[in-house]
Amino acid sequence: MTVLVVDDSRIMRNIVKNALSQHPRFTNSVCLEAPDGASAFRVIESNKVDLVLLDWNMPMMNGLELVKKLRAKSEYAKLHIIMITSEAAKYNVIEAVKAGVTDYMIKPVSDRSLLEKLDRYIV
Amino acid sequence: MHIEHIEPFIEATVGLFRNMLSMEVEYLTPYLLNRESHHEWEVSGIIGIAGDAKGVVVISFSSNLAAMLTSKLVHRQVEPDDPDVVDAVGELVNIIAGNAKKGLEQYRLSISLPSIVSGLDHRISWQSEVPIVGIPFKVAGGSFHLSVGLENVIVR
Repeated sequence: MTVLVVDDSRIMRNIVKNALSQHPRFTNSVCLEAPDGASAFRVIESNKVDLVLLDWNMPMMNGLELVKKLRAKSEYAKLHIIMITSEAAKYNVIEAVKAGVTDYMIKPVSDRSLLEKLDRYIV
Repeated sequence: MHIEHIEPFIEATVGLFRNMLSMEVEYLTPYLLNRESHHEWEVSGIIGIAGDAKGVVVISFSSNLAAMLTSKLVHRQVEPDDPDVVDAVGELVNIIAGNAKKGLEQYRLSISLPSIVSGLDHRISWQSEVPIVGIPFKVAGGSFHLSVGLENVIVR
């Protein structure tokens, strides 16, 4: 499978990628990355991405805007999108779910909680 | 000051250090910041807050402590001028501001992208009418400082 990690922080992308690499079913998978929503959209359009791990607050196009743009296209209706963000208010979670995220995690995320979450999506 | 409006920022900071850096922090008594006073900090991460209240959250470090915390995040020795320090300080203040919103849900708030300012005794221009609360923190390896101003939420 192909996983796309989207975050404007290179450190956060690396933390998520390191956690991914620890997952036993991730061994033959591919990890792509993008620093903002606009770049991520281009990556998704030119690759067969199975799972997006997505930050919210980013330049160019934020995570919520990307979710709305993807869900507006039928080919991405079932794409798994896990938002991983510092945005902890309930109204943010509700807004993201309404926009179409598959799951939501609040930073800081531990490797363990991330691996547990990924277990549902890495096949 | 309404201390209940400061607590979400303190809790977010304590939680961030505990869960992301495996470090315990201790905070000292919050105080009203004198905007004109000089300080010893060398790098600050700044996030603007908009929505029902306008404001700002600033986290300030010595460059050595910022480098030490960055080293823990990236699992390699980092010097103060490493570009990852800017990335790390921005992410730390982003998580504090975003997490603190959970304790302020009576206000609909949005946060900006972080900006980083560096240099000894760098100046931050605060909005003149908003009281700024300073919260000193201690952590193994040094001390750091959180400053929070929220118009009409944190009042004298």
